[in-house]
Amino acid sequence: MSDESATNRTGEGLVSGLPLGALNRYKVPIGSVLLVILLRPLVSMEFLLGYGSVANTILIWMLFAASFNLLLGYTGLLSFGHAMFLGIGAYVTAIGLSRFSSSFVLSAVVALALAGVAAYLIGRITVQKGEIYFAMLTLAFGTTAHFIANYNPAGLTGGTTGIAGGAVPAWIETERGLKYVNLGGFQFDWYWLVAAAVLVGLVVLWQIVRSPFGRTLIAIRENKELARAMGINTYRYKVWAFTLSGVVAAYAGTILEINEQGATLSLLTVETSGDVILMTVLGGANYFFGPVAGAFVWLFAEDYLTDFEMLVLPLKEVPIVSLELAGVLAYWQFFLGLLFVIAVLIAPREGIWGLLRDSIETLYDRLRTGEEDV
Amino acid sequence: MNAIPIPGTQRSITPAGGIVWGVLVLLTVMSAIVRPGLFVDQVIGGLVYGLVLVLIALGLSIVLGLLGIVNFAHGALFMLGAYFTFQLMEVWGVSFWVALIVAPLGVGLVGVAIERGVLRHLYDKNPLNGLLATFGIALMLGEATRAIWGGTPRSVVAPQILSMSFDLGVTTVSRIRLFTVAVAVVVIAAVYLLIERTDFGLSVRAGVLDREMAEFLGVNMNVRFISMFVLGAAIAGLGGVLRGAAVGMDVGMANQFIILAFVVVVVGGIGSLFGSVVAGLLIGGASYLTPLYLSTLAEVTTLEFINIPGIGGLVPYLVMIVVLLARPRGLFGQEGFLE
Repeated sequence: MSDESATNRTGEGLVSGLPLGALNRYKVPIGSVLLVILLRPLVSMEFLLGYGSVANTILIWMLFAASFNLLLGYTGLLSFGHAMFLGIGAYVTAIGLSRFSSSFVLSAVVALALAGVAAYLIGRITVQKGEIYFAMLTLAFGTTAHFIANYNPAGLTGGTTGIAGGAVPAWIETERGLKYVNLGGFQFDWYWLVAAAVLVGLVVLWQIVRSPFGRTLIAIRENKELARAMGINTYRYKVWAFTLSGVVAAYAGTILEINEQGATLSLLTVETSGDVILMTVLGGANYFFGPVAGAFVWLFAEDYLTDFEMLVLPLKEVPIVSLELAGVLAYWQFFLGLLFVIAVLIAPREGIWGLLRDSIETLYDRLRTGEEDV
Repeated sequence: MNAIPIPGTQRSITPAGGIVWGVLVLLTVMSAIVRPGLFVDQVIGGLVYGLVLVLIALGLSIVLGLLGIVNFAHGALFMLGAYFTFQLMEVWGVSFWVALIVAPLGVGLVGVAIERGVLRHLYDKNPLNGLLATFGIALMLGEATRAIWGGTPRSVVAPQILSMSFDLGVTTVSRIRLFTVAVAVVVIAAVYLLIERTDFGLSVRAGVLDREMAEFLGVNMNVRFISMFVLGAAIAGLGGVLRGAAVGMDVGMANQFIILAFVVVVVGGIGSLFGSVVAGLLIGGASYLTPLYLSTLAEVTTLEFINIPGIGGLVPYLVMIVVLLARPRGLFGQEGFLE
């Protein structure tokens, strides 16, 4: 994958002698750790969002988008029904907690198992269809999942209102809208559990991607016929990619369930599946951190731009130009849609993350050559 | 666009097929006897719904067959047709008959902008890119619609002559529905004649089969691409006008109908216009008749659980799953197309 080759190139260029090989090799886990530690302080800054609670949601969506990218970016399958697995994760956990009063861990394990079975069965009958057919069939299954949740079989899923009451495990305490985890008398902020859980999910995905299994997926994406000629059973690999992706998405769903204190029907809509596609492509399907960046941009823009009222240039204290933007920015999706279309036209697999990497690399190269001249 | 004749296959009816058909006929007869008024209502409702779906699916199928692009923005064009009607009739005070002509033309112009601005760059690329780019366009058009006309549902007042009802004995049917049926049938017939019976249509079909060869022979494919895209957009816009005049419009209709139109195209078989028409009518009819059949069945057998509320919305997807699993290329799909 271009991700790896690009990093090797810049990595070798750095000062040799330091353990940069290891740093380079474990770039993704290190980056994930930095991400989960820095995200909340970053968005809490006064000139950004000014409050940290949205960081939980952003982290969970990052994991969801990264799980989706196992399909789109690594295997080359465009699923229009990925929300189904996020929804299964959230709904099954919520049902376990509220209807059967079981423990969170048990409910979550059942949720992951169910999502895995569903993904395996759906994958078996869909992955070998053409691109358009695969997209439409996953859409159909996603809509079916939405219908079932809305239909409220045996009073389990709660219909249009979803599951709201009693769906939070006992070790979660809520104080003035903020959640705390209370494990054996030891209390800490809910954010850190989300951070740890998302970190685990990202590392699992990274392990999948860099394993022989992940490399085979890339081979299938790049050249299906050649992969088959080399003796790879493309069908089986695709089915398992679909299954693993669904399980990780359901894992994100179980965390989201606590974060939202229940499961809502909107998780299962086509719009949720569409949002994750937009995030992934906008961020850059070619890179592991592409969808993560895409999820951040998307959710950050949602919060930041809808609260944005006036653009004052160059500084708030020195208003030379001030623009009333509240009316326009309420329709932020228009501008992100525009950005998305441009991204697809110029470099459909690069996205924001690819652009960022390119510019940093160019800058670095320029700095280095500048030093050499002196 | 079904230029290659499908060799006629003689089939004998299998026992399982016979049972399915028998049950369907039985259910139809039963429903027609138990509630004749509702039955006729649902049949006409399904016909109108199915024909609107066909109007959208036609453009989708043309663009897919000719340009190899899955146009996700097609539903937004359909929605624009409805909102243009609102703008023309309620804001500018133009009569419905003018809007019926002008709104599709306006949508066609938007189509030109999309084709020249975006899709032109995506021909001969991975079909996923076309799907993604038009997905973004659909998002933009949806947000623009919300910004201009607001998020609340809108409706227009249909002209006097269409707002009256037509008495059928067991039930009454509003004339706008019959008008929709008539217009849709005329448009579908016209598109069929254009593609199958004119020199223009012949050159378009040649382009579908082998674009390079057609260009060697002196056919200007670019002009044909644009005109077919505009035609598809305008037909979707016309569908929007008819739907908007009959039941009103909202921002969600773009997504709702594009997905259903995809389902219609996929069920009918990608690349087959005839298939799209059949699948549209099948899905329209099934969406309206299945709830009636189930409620009749529940009434006759007194098994209340059979009567599933809201099943009509799920039927298109179930039909698609069944059709694609049984016939992977759809009902009338051609071999090797976009696979």
